[in-house]
Amino acid sequence: MSGVNLSGIVKAYGALQVVHGIDLNVAEKEFVVLVGPSGCGKSTTLRMIAGLEEITDGDLMIDGRRMNRVAPKDRDVAMVFQNYALYPHLNVAENMAFGLRIRKMPKDQIKTTIDDVAEILGLTPYLDRRPADLSGGQRQRVAMGRAIVRHPKVFLFDEPLSNLDAKLRTQMRAEIKRLHNRLGVTSVYVTHDQVEAMTLADRIVVMNDGRIEQIGTPMELFNNPANTFVAGFLGSPPMNQMKGVLTETGAKIGNTELRLHGAINGHQGRDVIVGVRPEHVTLAESEGTTALPINLDLVEPLGSEALLHAHHGEDNLVFKADTNGDINHLYGVGTVHVPAHLIKLFDAETGRALNLGA
Amino acid sequence: MSDRNSDVGGIPIEEVVVEAQEALRDRSQTRVPDKNWVKVLDHFKREWQIYAMLLPTLIWFVVFLYKPMYGLQIAFKDYSIFRGVAGSPWIGWEHFETLFTNDQFLRAVRNTIYISALNLLFGFPAPIILALMFNEVMHATYKRTAQTIVYLPHFISSVIIAGIVITAFSPSAGIVNTFISWLGFEPIYFLTQPEWFRPIFVGTGIWQEAGFGSIVFLAAIAGVNPSLYESAVVDGANRWQMMWKITIPSILPTILIMLIIRIGNVMEVSFELVILLYQPSTYETADVVNTWVYRQGLQSGQYDLAAAAGLFNAVVAFVLVMTANTLSRRFSRTSLW
Amino acid sequence: MMNWNLYSRGDKIFAIVVSILIGMFTIATLYPFIYIAAVSFSSGFAAQAGKVVLTPINFTLEAYGYILKDPQFWISYRNTFIYTIGGTLMSLAFIIPGAYALSRPQLKGRRFFNLFVAFTMWFNAGLIPFFLNMRDLGLLDSMFGIILAFAVNAFNIILLRNFFEAIPQSFEEAARMDGANDFQVLWKVFVPLSKPAIATITLFCIVSRWNGFFWAMVLLQSEEKIPLQVFLRHTISNLSDDDEFAIVQTAAGFSAETVTAAIIVCSIIPVLIVYPFIQKYFEKGILLGGVKE
Repeated sequence: MSGVNLSGIVKAYGALQVVHGIDLNVAEKEFVVLVGPSGCGKSTTLRMIAGLEEITDGDLMIDGRRMNRVAPKDRDVAMVFQNYALYPHLNVAENMAFGLRIRKMPKDQIKTTIDDVAEILGLTPYLDRRPADLSGGQRQRVAMGRAIVRHPKVFLFDEPLSNLDAKLRTQMRAEIKRLHNRLGVTSVYVTHDQVEAMTLADRIVVMNDGRIEQIGTPMELFNNPANTFVAGFLGSPPMNQMKGVLTETGAKIGNTELRLHGAINGHQGRDVIVGVRPEHVTLAESEGTTALPINLDLVEPLGSEALLHAHHGEDNLVFKADTNGDINHLYGVGTVHVPAHLIKLFDAETGRALNLGA
Repeated sequence: MSDRNSDVGGIPIEEVVVEAQEALRDRSQTRVPDKNWVKVLDHFKREWQIYAMLLPTLIWFVVFLYKPMYGLQIAFKDYSIFRGVAGSPWIGWEHFETLFTNDQFLRAVRNTIYISALNLLFGFPAPIILALMFNEVMHATYKRTAQTIVYLPHFISSVIIAGIVITAFSPSAGIVNTFISWLGFEPIYFLTQPEWFRPIFVGTGIWQEAGFGSIVFLAAIAGVNPSLYESAVVDGANRWQMMWKITIPSILPTILIMLIIRIGNVMEVSFELVILLYQPSTYETADVVNTWVYRQGLQSGQYDLAAAAGLFNAVVAFVLVMTANTLSRRFSRTSLW
Repeated sequence: MMNWNLYSRGDKIFAIVVSILIGMFTIATLYPFIYIAAVSFSSGFAAQAGKVVLTPINFTLEAYGYILKDPQFWISYRNTFIYTIGGTLMSLAFIIPGAYALSRPQLKGRRFFNLFVAFTMWFNAGLIPFFLNMRDLGLLDSMFGIILAFAVNAFNIILLRNFFEAIPQSFEEAARMDGANDFQVLWKVFVPLSKPAIATITLFCIVSRWNGFFWAMVLLQSEEKIPLQVFLRHTISNLSDDDEFAIVQTAAGFSAETVTAAIIVCSIIPVLIVYPFIQKYFEKGILLGGVKE
């Protein structure tokens, strides 16, 4: 059994439990992203894998070996820190060589390793600069370089892009993805940014309040969120959620009845939450859609698309619409059309997804 | 769900639990958690190095600072060198009774408080005023040079300071009496006259420490939000008004904390300088508790009585410092905003 | 922050007046040093008659000649270097690892140990028990005793501990994942990252060792062990009431005043040489320790 396996991982500080039993299997070479709001336990989980936090209960296996009480240095993992933790008194080459020197790797071998990795990361011209003389993106690369030179079994990333500006973040995101494709090292990546999670992950783990809400590929999570939390967390803007009641043929929201795909045997009258992705509605009626009257509050142009902020009853809603180069026609919108087969239903009490079986 | 696999009569609704969390979580209950002593053993095996680093320092503190505290018991004993600390017989509060009927000791307590009060009155405002003045100097190099010079005396030893004072105030050769005689007065024997000791001592303290003491206040001033001054300029305030309306209120917390600390240290007169400057003819105004302890204990060999005086001094100082600490902590917390 | 050209007339006058007052205080600070230097280069007669004000009168190096010929001056000068260098190294050897350990969250009993250290700042057994303890330890009249017994103080440990605590945790964590143990984390990461704080503490140690007087006077009896400050004190107090000296000096052209001044100059010079280099540190350093206990 290779990769990283967590079963029943618990973290408690005294009586305060912050991670309530995490089960997760990361396959070899897989890129898994832990995502969730701050305080959800994702960083703590990562730090337990790294060995920086003690594991209160449960089992952590790396490459088939139980690691609970193994020192971080002996776990064969490398970590990229949010603030990079580059030593300001060492230059780029020395920073990358730090771990190798401590592990007593021969000097010439260190040099070839550093040179190779610097080449991959495009850091060759900067090897004798101090971190203070580097740009944010270069520092980020050095931090990755420091992890790569060690040839670890697992890479751990703790919000590595959150200190970069938006443009650089997009660029580095792509670079991390390319690097992973090239090196193929098992990676666990923590972020609060759902776009990073969607773009980087083979599988996403959505966490909330110390528990896993859902595990799946980005598209699985996008298309079939397991509950209202995941629905509200992934996608930008997130899925609209409206309170409704199931009827014979659909879901009644206020005075409007949205037609659903399939029948509602025996569940009429049940309170539900109706989820509609902002990008799934259309302005024109077509087959299989229901009209939803809305009161438009605001139009935010984004370029090729615009966000329509509106409300229906007490629910605030956001929709995406194509501008076709002009937003004037959007100000008159009073109705949007919701395709029945893309509507998601959640239990009003538990928030769990209700599946209209196909 | 009972109808999970049913496809009879339309399409069933089933609740899909995407994560089999519950099922998996149950498994962890069956594992035996690590025992406590295993965790403790583990901790020391993993972290022994920091304990090894701490150990020399701890031993040092025990040997050089805590062991003397054990030795303080001689304040309640008839101490003799031959019987040692533990072997000398207890005599209760006798030494303290002696102390509080001893005119010289009581005079030393009074002098300590008196000199501290003078230090507070004149020595405390000096660095604040200096810092406020530095803040008004516009010429950067001038300011920098002046600061460098006024910080310097702090780094000069008391022996040298005393040497300078003795030379400068010497009746025949000293510069001070040279000026006095230019003005047509008789030379003054400053260092042998009791009434001159305190002004010279306090003045020397200000000369030596006012500059260095201003660093704390300059830092506090540097922390004042510049936009306060900018808005004051827009409102038409002049520099004098800004000093009173912005700078001083802004550094008031620092001033108060430093004042509290100062009051906490009332028993700490720099007795090294006193020893270097006083002489029998000025004991009347110059002798403080620690110099008295020094003479009684280290020069006359009355260790037990001197230790009792030292203990008295230390306890009063401790109470003052703790009170000051509590006040300053309470104050610095509430005064932040 | 403020622009001189935008100052009002009143503000300009205010700033100029304040600058002049600062200048006067600065001169008052500096003047005693200049005066002492002038005395040290003056003839004994001129100094005794109180003629020296700003510059040497009847310039002579006799006073320096007198001191530099005294072997005790050189012995105590050497001793001061030994106490300063040995004592500072000893201090750092205790303080750096000690402060590191006290800054580690994983140290069990950390609160207790910190209190154990800090308590000595608030309560002190006093001169007599300390002296008797030194005697019991057999450290009277011992150079090593002086170096060891004043190696550590709570303030310096707490100052450095505070600095270590402010270092982002990730530096230590990164080093640990790279395989470093505590000694390596301290030596290869924390010490280089704490250069300003360590420089400050080194400075405090050097200054207090260079200037150390009272305990050296009390604890050391042998002339070959005394530091410069004690020698200086002996010389000053001996010269002023030594009749024999008064007779010798009349012939030689120096006096108690000029000799005293010359020794002062000799012992200040190293401080003045080092001072500009250390200045940038102590301003920061004093704030590091600051008000925090």
